[in-house]
Amino acid sequence: MSNEAHIQLNKLTKSYQEGDKTRAVLDEMNLSVKEGELIVLLGRSGSGKSTLLNLVSGIDKPDSGEVVIGGTDLAKLNEKDRTLFRRKNIGFVFQSFNLITTLTAHENVILPLKLKGVSDDETLSKAQQFLDEVGLGDRGDSYPDRLSGGEQQRVAIARALAHEPMLILADEPTGNLDYETGKTILDILNNLVRKNGRTIILATHDRDICNIADRVLEIRGGKLREVSITEEAIQ
Amino acid sequence: MSKYSSDLLWLSSLRFLLQHPWHFALSILGVALGVSVVVSIDISNSSAKTAFSLSTEAVTGKATHQIQGAAEDLDEEVYQTIRIDGKIRKSAPVVEGYARITGVNRTFQVLGVDPIAEAPFRNFASQEAGIELSEFMAGENTGLIAESVAQELEVSIGDTLAISVGGRSFSIRLIGLIDTQDDRSRQALESLLVLDVSTAQRLFDMQGKLSQIDLILPQNAEENIIPELKTMLPDGADIIRSDSRTETVEQMTRAFEFNLQALSMLALLVGMFLIYNTMTFSVVQRRPLIGRLRALGVTKNEILAIVLKEAVLIGLLGTVIGMISGIFLAQVLVKLVTQSINDLYFVLSVQELTIGFFPLAKGALLGIGATLIASFWPAREASQAEVSTVLRRSSNESKITKRILPLAIIGVSAGLAGLGILLIPNGGIAAGYSSLLFMIVGFSLIIPMLIVGMAKVLRPVLGKVNGLIGKMSVRGVVTELSRTSVAIAALVVAVAATVGVGVMVDSFRTTVVSWLESQLQADVYVQPPSSVSRNADSELVPMLVDILKETEGVAESHTVRSVDVRTNNGTDNLVAIDQGEAARNTYQLKEGDSGFWQDYTEENILMVSEVYAYRNEVGLGDSLFIVTDRGRQGFEIRAINFDYASDIGTITINREIYNQYFEDEAISGLALYAEDGVEVDELVERLRERSKGLQEVFIRSNKGLREASIEIFDRTFTVTVVLRMLAILVAFIGVLSALMALQLERSRELAVLRANGMTPGQLWNYVITQTGVMGVMAGILSVPLGILMAYILVYVINLRSFGWTLQFMISSEVLIQAVALAVVAALLAGIYPSWKMAKTNPADALRNE
Repeated sequence: MSNEAHIQLNKLTKSYQEGDKTRAVLDEMNLSVKEGELIVLLGRSGSGKSTLLNLVSGIDKPDSGEVVIGGTDLAKLNEKDRTLFRRKNIGFVFQSFNLITTLTAHENVILPLKLKGVSDDETLSKAQQFLDEVGLGDRGDSYPDRLSGGEQQRVAIARALAHEPMLILADEPTGNLDYETGKTILDILNNLVRKNGRTIILATHDRDICNIADRVLEIRGGKLREVSITEEAIQ
Repeated sequence: MSKYSSDLLWLSSLRFLLQHPWHFALSILGVALGVSVVVSIDISNSSAKTAFSLSTEAVTGKATHQIQGAAEDLDEEVYQTIRIDGKIRKSAPVVEGYARITGVNRTFQVLGVDPIAEAPFRNFASQEAGIELSEFMAGENTGLIAESVAQELEVSIGDTLAISVGGRSFSIRLIGLIDTQDDRSRQALESLLVLDVSTAQRLFDMQGKLSQIDLILPQNAEENIIPELKTMLPDGADIIRSDSRTETVEQMTRAFEFNLQALSMLALLVGMFLIYNTMTFSVVQRRPLIGRLRALGVTKNEILAIVLKEAVLIGLLGTVIGMISGIFLAQVLVKLVTQSINDLYFVLSVQELTIGFFPLAKGALLGIGATLIASFWPAREASQAEVSTVLRRSSNESKITKRILPLAIIGVSAGLAGLGILLIPNGGIAAGYSSLLFMIVGFSLIIPMLIVGMAKVLRPVLGKVNGLIGKMSVRGVVTELSRTSVAIAALVVAVAATVGVGVMVDSFRTTVVSWLESQLQADVYVQPPSSVSRNADSELVPMLVDILKETEGVAESHTVRSVDVRTNNGTDNLVAIDQGEAARNTYQLKEGDSGFWQDYTEENILMVSEVYAYRNEVGLGDSLFIVTDRGRQGFEIRAINFDYASDIGTITINREIYNQYFEDEAISGLALYAEDGVEVDELVERLRERSKGLQEVFIRSNKGLREASIEIFDRTFTVTVVLRMLAILVAFIGVLSALMALQLERSRELAVLRANGMTPGQLWNYVITQTGVMGVMAGILSVPLGILMAYILVYVINLRSFGWTLQFMISSEVLIQAVALAVVAALLAGIYPSWKMAKTNPADALRNE
């Protein structure tokens, strides 16, 4: 793990309009993440976890502040450049898997590689390698609707890692899975991220997940608070 | 984007389309039907046009100019003068007319020629073509027909053909066959009967007269030869370029063809709404999928491109199917178009379709273009969606709820813009149709707001009738407004188009019926059969006229003479009536004072129909110059009358004035009044009895003629009715497509209801009630839009195309038909999803993707 700040959020503010009222979700939030770090982001429903992930991935734009990833301030990029940045540098794991239903498991993993412009031969071998690593090497030709929830999430992990992104964002990755499957998924994710030296921010409301984290952060009132892992374990 | 990633995105799109085969097939069908109608109308029109120009080419031959008389004939002495004194060797006498040959169901053009003079003009009729002069000019009735016609009739040289000319029967001995090598002439000559000029004169009762003299003049003729020749011509005769005849005919049918094209475009417009609906639905259905792709880094432009690529695929497949089916449809439509042209304008026989490059290219361009235009907004909508919102389902519904008012405001503005276009002076037909387009689009944008309003009314009503399920059904329409509003709008436009055309035809029919009632004042009408239904181009035998007038039970009579004359506006139909002042009861004046009827028997004044006034931009007080046998004569227009018999227009003059300027005693029609107490049907029988053996004529009672006229009217509108039926078919498919897809897409929600205890029967009730509600909403909304469309068609497009004043007539039948169409189609659309969901295990539908 490098000591240099890999991701830097400076005075990040985001609010939403709800009728006549403005609700501040993130309030001048600051965060510094080092390369290879595994951050667990805690918070209640509606606390702003997904909003933060949307800002870090460039899906959404902050009202003010900076989102610097690998030296690029996403807040200063236009929509198209943010999309291209995301394509190259971010991997996603969603709660509801969000696989492309019209593509097979193998093609789902290939897609980000191809979007990135990786050559055909390389994409095929890489996709197969990651599918093997998540234990689905023999299910590459299956469409998502033929896979169980756990299997779909494993494909999603392979997809998020295959194109070697700078950062992986996982939004409640075990939220739709049973306890045992969730645990397996978490192990796979943890192992692969560590093995490939990826940086990951994992948003969850499940405090059990904290034990795999390098650091635990909690969003409350629009601010980030660092929580010690022991403190979490006691709670 | 690399080639590979674009391939993968495209693969994903293709699979999506294939996973929704019904939807995919119905959108292709929407394009195909639209293209098919446009292509078939174009092919029919161009086939009719080609057939006309081929027959003109065949009949005109190599003639550069023609000498024509004032009315429809020319003294044959003029030919001698031109040939001998004028030293124009390349000149040929021609007698033209129409006849029917027993055994073939079409009208033949009769060409009476002098084979000796023919060689430079028409090679098929010349001595050089092998015509036996001794037989051809022997004094008996002999003639030639095309070899293919002889085969059709199963006759050979030496056999006798039975022909009918204006109701009189003749026998023609076949002395030769016209054998043509090339396809082009073969088609034209298949409707030609070639006779010797003197035989033709006998047949058409034109002894000593010619229809025209054909000339081949050198290029510089305009400067020296023509002015000299003109000095040799009698009063009223003139030299015209032979191609000006084609121009006149093209002008005649321009509005007719344009309106057919416009109606076919209406079918395409309905098709476009269906494509828009399908594409929007397909995009809405894929919003989560698009959101996922966007999250993975697919750019907006890439999404736009991929959706448009899908549209091109749908457009391409639909266009190819549409073009092929259009060619088949044209086989049927060309008969209807030809029938209408024969009823309205001139004799035309289309033996085969002319499938040119242009109609197909236009079809392809329109098919793919319309699909792309209709798909652009859904595609843009898909690409513009924010990733964070597309990952959530409810956002889209909240978005459209916010947009209801702005959409309605844009809709009203578009409607007002349409109205503004109507107000452009001399806007023409194209502006009329553009305005129609704006109003349709404008109305569609107000539909979401109207749906919400209607739901408020329908919800308590259905709640009372169908309990909770009734309430839920109505509520569902509003909660899924982004999808339901597009489906309902597409349905509204499609059904409204059928209402618009239906009301237009009804209005026209009602106007014609009431006009006929006032126009037909006599008890019995006598007419010779004419080759063009709305044009009395044949004559009654004078002896027959006298016999019929003197029949017992006839109190009074008047006659009509109809001829084509040359005026300062071109070639026009002139009708001479001998009714005197009593004509005031027959003719309905649109403009003009009552003094007209007193003066028209004595002064050089005349009456023109409103269509004539509109087409030629003339009005009361204007002068009209007619080329008569006494030279060019000026007449003042003193009245404009309503006349729905001809869309070219007529000039009406008193017979006494006509006789002063034309050496023509012929009568084209006779109207008889029965004595008091005489039964009209008995009188008709008596008249028919007395006419036997003299001439085959139509003797019809007032009622009989009215029915016959309505029948012809209906026949000329058959092609419009067919187009309306096609629009209904497109609409029906659209409804099925939109609503079925909508319900199928809700399978998860329906499964939740089943899981919560809804029985299969209740599920049927729920789905059918909901599609029924949408059908009712669309049916009701299609009525005002349909009436608006009809209003523009009747008062703007019809007026600008033809100049007719029509009574606006809305029949309840058309409106009920529209609402019923929408509701029945909607109910049918609910059957498959209900059946599917009722028999599916809810657990399967509830499974995650």
